Amino acid sequence: MKRLLGVALGVLTAIGGFVDIGDLVTNAVVGSRFGLSLVWVVGVGVLGICLFANMSGRVAAASGRATFEVIRERLGPRAGLANLSASFLINLMTVTAEIGGVALALQLASSVHYLLWIPVAAVAVWLVIWRVKFSIMENVTGLLGLTLIVFAVALFLLKPDWGVLAGQALAPAVPAEETAPTYWYFAIALFGAAMTPYEVFFFSSGAVEEGWTVKDLVQSRINVLVGFPLGGLLSVAIAGCAAVVLLPAGISVTSLSQVILPVAEGAGKLGLAFVLVGVVAATFGAALETTLSSGYTLAQFFGWSWGKFRRPAQAARFHLAMIICMLVGIGVLATGVDPVLVTEYSVVFSAIALPLTYLPILIVSNDPQYMGKHVNGRAVNVLAMVYLVIILVASVAAIPLMIVTGAGA
Amino acid sequence: MTSPGLVPLPPVPGRILDAQLHLLDRQVLDHDGVPVTTVDDLELSGPDIGAEIPQGTPAPVLDALLTGPVLGTRIFGGRPPQSRLIRIPWKDVADVGVVVRLGVGGEGLDASWVERWVRDRIIARIPGGRHDPR
Repeated sequence: MKRLLGVALGVLTAIGGFVDIGDLVTNAVVGSRFGLSLVWVVGVGVLGICLFANMSGRVAAASGRATFEVIRERLGPRAGLANLSASFLINLMTVTAEIGGVALALQLASSVHYLLWIPVAAVAVWLVIWRVKFSIMENVTGLLGLTLIVFAVALFLLKPDWGVLAGQALAPAVPAEETAPTYWYFAIALFGAAMTPYEVFFFSSGAVEEGWTVKDLVQSRINVLVGFPLGGLLSVAIAGCAAVVLLPAGISVTSLSQVILPVAEGAGKLGLAFVLVGVVAATFGAALETTLSSGYTLAQFFGWSWGKFRRPAQAARFHLAMIICMLVGIGVLATGVDPVLVTEYSVVFSAIALPLTYLPILIVSNDPQYMGKHVNGRAVNVLAMVYLVIILVASVAAIPLMIVTGAGA
Repeated sequence: MTSPGLVPLPPVPGRILDAQLHLLDRQVLDHDGVPVTTVDDLELSGPDIGAEIPQGTPAPVLDALLTGPVLGTRIFGGRPPQSRLIRIPWKDVADVGVVVRLGVGGEGLDASWVERWVRDRIIARIPGGRHDPR
């Protein structure tokens, strides 16, 4: 019974923790401009993140090594440092976007300007990282994030023409007002939002934090294989809401208030209350995860002592690095840059940087010295190679498409 | 792959380690399993680079694992002065596996001075810095 509860909790946390500011914004933008015609990308992204998280979780459980230790060991210092720089900067961009997202959500709830909420949000994130136990942090934000199910509820209450939605989803076509390069640019953005690299740093380091062994692999596999696809359904619901309300009205999403507008319309004040709690929880949870990830990547590359399971004094450089990252994030936000814009760029850059983390994990998960008998099976490797191609194509095509489309404008 | 003129290696007892594969860039843990650093470079005894090697010179021996600024020189080239190298003597190494385990505590090592400095000057001074999260 206790085991069943553990599995249920893990799955629920994975669902609630799947959505972050990148998923919220990108899915709403895509829904408001392309309807459900890009929903297949969410499917591709979710399957990819399942595969990738599963591999890195297995590496962490079987060898006790987290992602960036492995990356440095496999790539050496030079390529490793280049990789670290790229991954770290994109992660820092995501930290900025998430803290901005918390502040924007609090602005919607309170009508106090978001710039005033930023220091509050950042201090709250830091306090949780400083004091709260890892598992409590994960479970509370994950469970509160489940309130985003209100997007799915709102979609039903809006009573859309399901035939039209299914038609958009099943026979994807570029809408008449949009061009093919824009369509593919947003396909990459959506892919990057679903497969952000920080999720993998966090997942593998979290496995070490919680002291996983090979015995816990079944549990982790269930969490990933059930939780992430259901989390992906939340993403689809967000896009669906935007497709039903915003697309016909000709509103393309540029702010967080537009993301939650369909929920207010479909599910009223109660729905609005739920969605605000959900957005704050999802962005706050992701702010924790990305901030920790910035500490994890640096500490693992340089071999510092790290982890929330240690006293802060026993992982001093790790905690100092995270404090500095948050200060940088606050500094960037204080310039008044639009957090939604930062988010839109961060998901595309995530897609660009994806091969850097994906390839070393793929190599190590086939290495018997690390993995013993838990190396990848044949089926996993075939799927992993297919994804390697997809990831490389998305990574290479992203910048040219960004230039051609003017970042999707 | 033996080139003519080189005597093949005599049989060595114990394990054969490849410096590149098994040592460099591996995580170093102390005897309690706490991360200390990463192996940034290795120090070998023996002839200087470019010096003439007379017949019968004993093979170089691994003296120490190096860490600290030496990482920068491995990435960008160059060599820090001998006095700036931070060493972990090879005799402190207890085991080499997926990680390098030391037989001593990390607390007193030169290699962990930055960690100690950050801890004593900054992190331990923030309220709750010594609070056990578990």
